[in-house]
Amino acid sequence: MAAKPGIAPTTYSPNLVQKTRPPIFKDNDLDWVRPDGRGFHQCRPAFFRTGAVNSASGSAYAELGNTKVIVSVFGPRESKKAMMYSDTGRLNCNVSYTTFGTPVRGQGSDHKEFSSMLHKALEGAIMLETFPKTTVDVFALVLESGGSDIPVVISCASLALADAGIMMYDLVAAVSVACLGKNLVIDPILEEESYQDGSLMLTCMPSRYEVTQLTFTGEWPTPDINEAMQLCLDACNKLGKVMRTCLKEAASASQEEKLDVCF
Amino acid sequence: MGLPNASGDLSTEVELDAFRRLFPLRFFEKHLLESIRPDARPLGRARDTTLSLGAVASANGSANAKIGSTTMLAAIKMEVMTPSLETPDEGCIAIDFHMPPIVRPGRPAEAAPVVAKQLSDTILSSGMINLKELSLVSGKAAWMAYLDIYCLYADGALFDAALLAAVAAFSYLEIPVVSLNDDGKIVLSEEQGLSDREPVNKEKRKVNLGSIPFSLTCILHKNYILADPTAEEESIMETSVTVVLDSSSQLVSLYKPGGPVLAYTSAIQDCIALTRQRVMELQMILEEAISGMEVD
Repeated sequence: MAAKPGIAPTTYSPNLVQKTRPPIFKDNDLDWVRPDGRGFHQCRPAFFRTGAVNSASGSAYAELGNTKVIVSVFGPRESKKAMMYSDTGRLNCNVSYTTFGTPVRGQGSDHKEFSSMLHKALEGAIMLETFPKTTVDVFALVLESGGSDIPVVISCASLALADAGIMMYDLVAAVSVACLGKNLVIDPILEEESYQDGSLMLTCMPSRYEVTQLTFTGEWPTPDINEAMQLCLDACNKLGKVMRTCLKEAASASQEEKLDVCF
Repeated sequence: MGLPNASGDLSTEVELDAFRRLFPLRFFEKHLLESIRPDARPLGRARDTTLSLGAVASANGSANAKIGSTTMLAAIKMEVMTPSLETPDEGCIAIDFHMPPIVRPGRPAEAAPVVAKQLSDTILSSGMINLKELSLVSGKAAWMAYLDIYCLYADGALFDAALLAAVAAFSYLEIPVVSLNDDGKIVLSEEQGLSDREPVNKEKRKVNLGSIPFSLTCILHKNYILADPTAEEESIMETSVTVVLDSSSQLVSLYKPGGPVLAYTSAIQDCIALTRQRVMELQMILEEAISGMEVD
């Protein structure tokens, strides 16, 4: 039977975590070979689907490689009575991980800052004045973490907001770049993120060419900063096009169902 | 709902929707008189069920079960623990059921801890898993299987879908090969890179399942028995009966939590008969899903 009630036994995972990156080519320009065979400047193929959860106002599912994310948007709903009156809308974001989404169980709670990062990424793009006195809730659940989690969450959240009909200036696309020694790799997977020396995450509105959020961490050689930013902007452009195609397909699919409706 | 008729007249559809919202019980009873339900199912039939295995790569076993629209994602992660002194040869299973905010925001659902407890009791007492199989080194190390079930869409019959997902995850579970290293800790054998260390559990890669439990929830309303209710039906007609049978048709659990309708023995026997049929359907679905994965 189960362990004694009230006392949960301490457990550990048999996985080993390697701390140092094994050197591959010592006197070459290459510091890294990508495990999944991608080029350094190649993103993973993106799969987006809206309308995954019908009980929400809008929802989207995104899958990039092994990173799988579902986002639901509820609202605009009445703000709690305790909150002060505000003539702009409120945005409330929450990102949570499933317990099995990370290689070691329970590591998802290490990413508590993702909720506020998602909030900052989205608030520049949403027209908050179109829904005064109300709140829009964005809930993200990371089903499986395969690297580059927060950029996928941000892109998926903006699709869900579009699916819910919340007015925005533009779709928000996010991409991250990791610095591994002398090489820049875009859209890093989990293994690459654990070995990286620095990371850059850029969130922008592609058609307006405006950046809503920029996050630099770690060690960066100065000339690489510009190159990395340019890489991200180009990738965001392409990602924005993919997201737009997904929305158009969803809209035309529902258009075909409502052939006879005329107002 | 039905498409508007050819003349583009929406008023009948709007009236239907309004009637459904304002007088839900009458709406359903009109259907029940014709022995049918609003989604065109006969009273005793369950919704279309699909099962897909191995959805989550980072877990040791996982399954995604859909009954109609209700979607459950179950995954098992194995960790190592020290077995207790009374049972040095047994591992442990920890079962948890979550309804994440994507399904319903705000206060956590009342149904979540109820379903969690039901699942835990059913799986542990059904004898599906022999805990002795989860032992690694007697008295020193054993497996702790963390089974987590997330509800991704709640449309009625939560317990049925969750149990199906849990059972499917166990049948697709792959226990990693591990060995004991110098510090007395268990580590994955491949990570060692050495073959001189004897793997502790070379033979036991899959768990042998005993009798597998399957369930069906039925709703009782006056003289009608409706199998596999949707969320709308559950909210209107509140008496439900959940029967869990195992693959040899033995009764594992019977759960009738109150409700305005009192069930006669004949009603319970009818529910059990419906469950028996459903068990055969679910067994076929599970076998198809497993054999589909093995072909790869």
